[in-house]
Amino acid sequence: MAALVQPDTRFIQEVMASGGADLKKCYQCATCSVVCALAPEDAPFPRKQMVEAQWGLKDRLVADPAIWLCHHCGDCTTRCPRGARPGDVFGALRAAAIRHFAFPGWLGALAASPKGLLVLLLLPALVFTGMMLSAAQQTPAGEMEFAHLFPILQLEALFFAVTGLVVLAFAIGALRLVRALRAAGATGSIAAGLVPALKEIATHQRFAECAEARSRRLGHLLTLWGFMGLAFMGTVVGLGTMTGLMHTPLPLAHPLKIFANLCAAIILAGLVILLADRLADPAKRAASSYFDWWFMWTLLGVVVTGIASELLRLWQTPVMYGVYYVHLVLVFALFLYAPYTKFAHLLYRTLAMAAARRGA
Amino acid sequence: MSKKLGCYICSGCDVGQAVDTAKLAKLAERDLRVPVCRVHPFLCGPEGLALIRNDIEAGGVNAVVVAACSPRVKTEAFQFDPKMVLARVNLREHVAWCQEAGHEDTQMLAADYLRMGVVKAQKAEPLEPVSEPVSKQILVVGGGAAGLTAALEAAEAGYEVTLVESKAQLGGFAAGLKRSFSGTSLQPLIEAVSYHPRIQVLTSAWIERTEGQPGAFEVTVQADGTTTRFHAGAVVIATGWKPYDASRLGHLGYGTTPDVITGVELEHMAANGGIRRPSDGKPAKDVVFVQCAGSRDPDHLSYCSSVCCLATLKQAGYIHEQDPEARVYVVYKDMRTPGHYERYYRQAQDHPFNFLTKGEVTGVQRSGDKLVVAAKNTLLGEDIELRADLVVLATGMIPNSADGEAIRALEDAEIRAEKGESAAQRAEAARKAEELKAHRGTEILNLTYRQGPDLPVLRHGFPDSHFICFPYETRRTAIYAAGALRAPMDAAQAQQDALGAALKAIQSVELAARGQAVHPRAGDMSFPSFFLQRCTQCKRCTEECPFGALDEDEKGTPKPNPYRCRRCAICLGSCPERIISFKNYSVDMIASMIKAIEVPEEDEEKPRVLVFMCENDAYPALDIAGLKRLRYDPSVRVLPLRCLGSLNIVWIADALSRGIDGIMLIGCKLGDDYQCHFVRGSELAQRRLENVKETLQRLRLESERLQLTQFAINEADKLPALFNDFMERIREMGPNPYKGF
Repeated sequence: MAALVQPDTRFIQEVMASGGADLKKCYQCATCSVVCALAPEDAPFPRKQMVEAQWGLKDRLVADPAIWLCHHCGDCTTRCPRGARPGDVFGALRAAAIRHFAFPGWLGALAASPKGLLVLLLLPALVFTGMMLSAAQQTPAGEMEFAHLFPILQLEALFFAVTGLVVLAFAIGALRLVRALRAAGATGSIAAGLVPALKEIATHQRFAECAEARSRRLGHLLTLWGFMGLAFMGTVVGLGTMTGLMHTPLPLAHPLKIFANLCAAIILAGLVILLADRLADPAKRAASSYFDWWFMWTLLGVVVTGIASELLRLWQTPVMYGVYYVHLVLVFALFLYAPYTKFAHLLYRTLAMAAARRGA
Repeated sequence: MSKKLGCYICSGCDVGQAVDTAKLAKLAERDLRVPVCRVHPFLCGPEGLALIRNDIEAGGVNAVVVAACSPRVKTEAFQFDPKMVLARVNLREHVAWCQEAGHEDTQMLAADYLRMGVVKAQKAEPLEPVSEPVSKQILVVGGGAAGLTAALEAAEAGYEVTLVESKAQLGGFAAGLKRSFSGTSLQPLIEAVSYHPRIQVLTSAWIERTEGQPGAFEVTVQADGTTTRFHAGAVVIATGWKPYDASRLGHLGYGTTPDVITGVELEHMAANGGIRRPSDGKPAKDVVFVQCAGSRDPDHLSYCSSVCCLATLKQAGYIHEQDPEARVYVVYKDMRTPGHYERYYRQAQDHPFNFLTKGEVTGVQRSGDKLVVAAKNTLLGEDIELRADLVVLATGMIPNSADGEAIRALEDAEIRAEKGESAAQRAEAARKAEELKAHRGTEILNLTYRQGPDLPVLRHGFPDSHFICFPYETRRTAIYAAGALRAPMDAAQAQQDALGAALKAIQSVELAARGQAVHPRAGDMSFPSFFLQRCTQCKRCTEECPFGALDEDEKGTPKPNPYRCRRCAICLGSCPERIISFKNYSVDMIASMIKAIEVPEEDEEKPRVLVFMCENDAYPALDIAGLKRLRYDPSVRVLPLRCLGSLNIVWIADALSRGIDGIMLIGCKLGDDYQCHFVRGSELAQRRLENVKETLQRLRLESERLQLTQFAINEADKLPALFNDFMERIREMGPNPYKGF
């Protein structure tokens, strides 16, 4: 049975505008699929996805796990005889998939374009300005603490509420992806695939096959583990303070504090490697889109302002409130918009790897 | 005038080491009675040449044998007087460089070649060039991109030109385009031609007759109801092309709905007010182009027209100019955009709403308001269907040629159908006439040639004669094809092509003015002569001449047109009465050369094999074998022929009766992938050889003693094995039983 093919012209424009500008240059020689170290033999990419993207076959692409199996090392891009930059097109396809599965959809659209940047940041800026102004009237004297301007309970409540929203949005996104995968013919248990997928994510073994992306792999691994540690710490300390079992700031010698600071150092190292990698890239192996930069700078901003806040607090200067304010705005933005920004790859890549059973 | 031979043997370039040149000189002087014989170590040097020149000027030598290197080299050095008899004996490439130095067999080989060379010089006569006043005017047929360019270039080079165009306006197909691939217009060219003082333009014209021969064509043209007559020396024919008949493409929907059109129809639509659906005039939002519609398809046109892909990409641009949101689909077999046109493809590819895939269109159906195009084997990895408002079939190009031989065959069949001897013959002729009736009225040049009124065509109706090496040549001397008539091409390429064809036309009138042949024996001043008292009117020569040089009188006696001749001597080979000869190439001369070969007695166990070798490809290949110092059996005796088609079977009988053990014929490849410089020479040789083989069987001689090999110039490495294998078979068969008779 022949398939009726009707190109989604808006999708083509969207992909071309968000990093896949050279998409149409592809003439299907399949050099890319041959040189890709990660492409499975029975379902090679990115040749097939390139023609589907040229033809605007959005439904097939967003439901194709292959777009998530790529780590954007740029081997295909540097070897492409036509300059079609398949690696960059895949980046744009991932952004398009995130936007496609976003709930609510308008937030996805807002996060995808630089035009939405101010609006996105305005919300947390107003929230924390309000919080700061209402708390400032009753600032106790003595040692300066962030809690004086940003009361712990308000903060934690806010962040758990945000977490709830984010989990809901992710859950809907995950459901939509799974439904799309199934509609596209994916069979087998995705849950069973999760184990090898998580194993791969923990070790980045497959990522290591991208020989040209060694430093990126290291940076990504450090960032991931540093982030996991900090997320774990944030949850533990958050629950601890809300139940009154803990009081922040924790003393510097506290084992949890030591662990948290270690994680901060690890993620900073990871992010610096990733940033250096993106900025240097002399061979122009992989272009960075707004989508990439948003995530990179927000995460880096969170880490740098977090570390700076801690240091300034130890130094006891009022500047610490200003930096902490920025920190909170960025953390809020990072988490609230996670389902709509590149952050979401954490979920979709995991699911896609599980579906493709390539994690093992 | 009595002939005085001078024989000059060069001992340079290893010849002196390989053979005993003093013995050769003795052979020439004593046995062959050559009055002047000299050996020199550096014959092509100033001293050596002065030696020869002095003998010519002071010693009365008027026929020269140069026993040195290949006749293909040092031609200018050894060209003392173009009319004088000159025989070159190839002691270097064919003896010294390929045989063991100092061996008895090597000496025998050199001696035989010297004998053959001396006999050749004895038998050849000095040339008497024909020199008649010729017209250097050039007739250009067709006023499209190619014809206009050819006319302007020839006129700018100083030649008078008459341009004949069948339409009322100049410009041809390109004039009807919305725009060309390059975006340039033909208008400046049309104006330059129209106002050129040396160009006469005849529009709404057709050629009633083209009589005569190169340098002296008499052309009668009807233009706007008046008759014009003029002389022309050469012709450039550039009648262009027509699109393949789309009515035969019903399987792609043509004719089933008005919304399936051809690329040419779309071009005219775009040039005249815009692209719309023909059925209801609505805008075309989805347009599917079907590439290779009836092209590269054994049931239709088996070739690629090289332009349709470009035209489609260009027309996709028209559609987007009209509606930037329109979706254009292209289903192709291969996207072919030759040369720099690759950039054209790239640019079209970049448009976000151009959708290109390889694939094979399996059907076009109407479905409600839309057409549905089904395709298989696509790059999308599955069979697909596309919805379209308009389907455009990119059809191929057919040359606007007239098949002169078919027209002649039609005329013959019509006459036979009426006046045939038996009812069966008349019926057969009528059937044949019916089969050929499509050729009726297709004449373009209306040549008064015995073989038909127009250029003979080869595969697919293109009137070329040697596609690879001699692109503009047709099988009618001094008539050159250019543009899409010659091969499918676009207007820009056709203009390039026209430059080449115009230059060939100029060359041919200049050579005709000097009584010299055009390619491939350029400069040759010999002509065939016919001893007509002995002619039996068998018509073989008039039929076999690949260039239609011979007309016939009522009885069938050949009427030569010397300027049409390319000097291949195929007529000489065809003639059973052996009445056709050139002053420097004749049946008797070759037969005498064969007789000059010394055939050792049977008990000496030295077999001899005669190799008739085509001068154009095989002989140079043997020279290359020499250059590469390849060794082969010293029993072969190579005799170059102008063309294998000039082989007269009497030579085979002569050789076998002399005791020659085997005969090899090495010529060009046969068939439509023609390599033969004279188009059909090797094919004719093959046919003659088959007749000879029957004779051999009657004589109880093994037919394996004769072998024809098709050979190309780049196969020098295969020659030693070819010779050695044949010699081995000859040794197995044993000596020729007629030896010693």
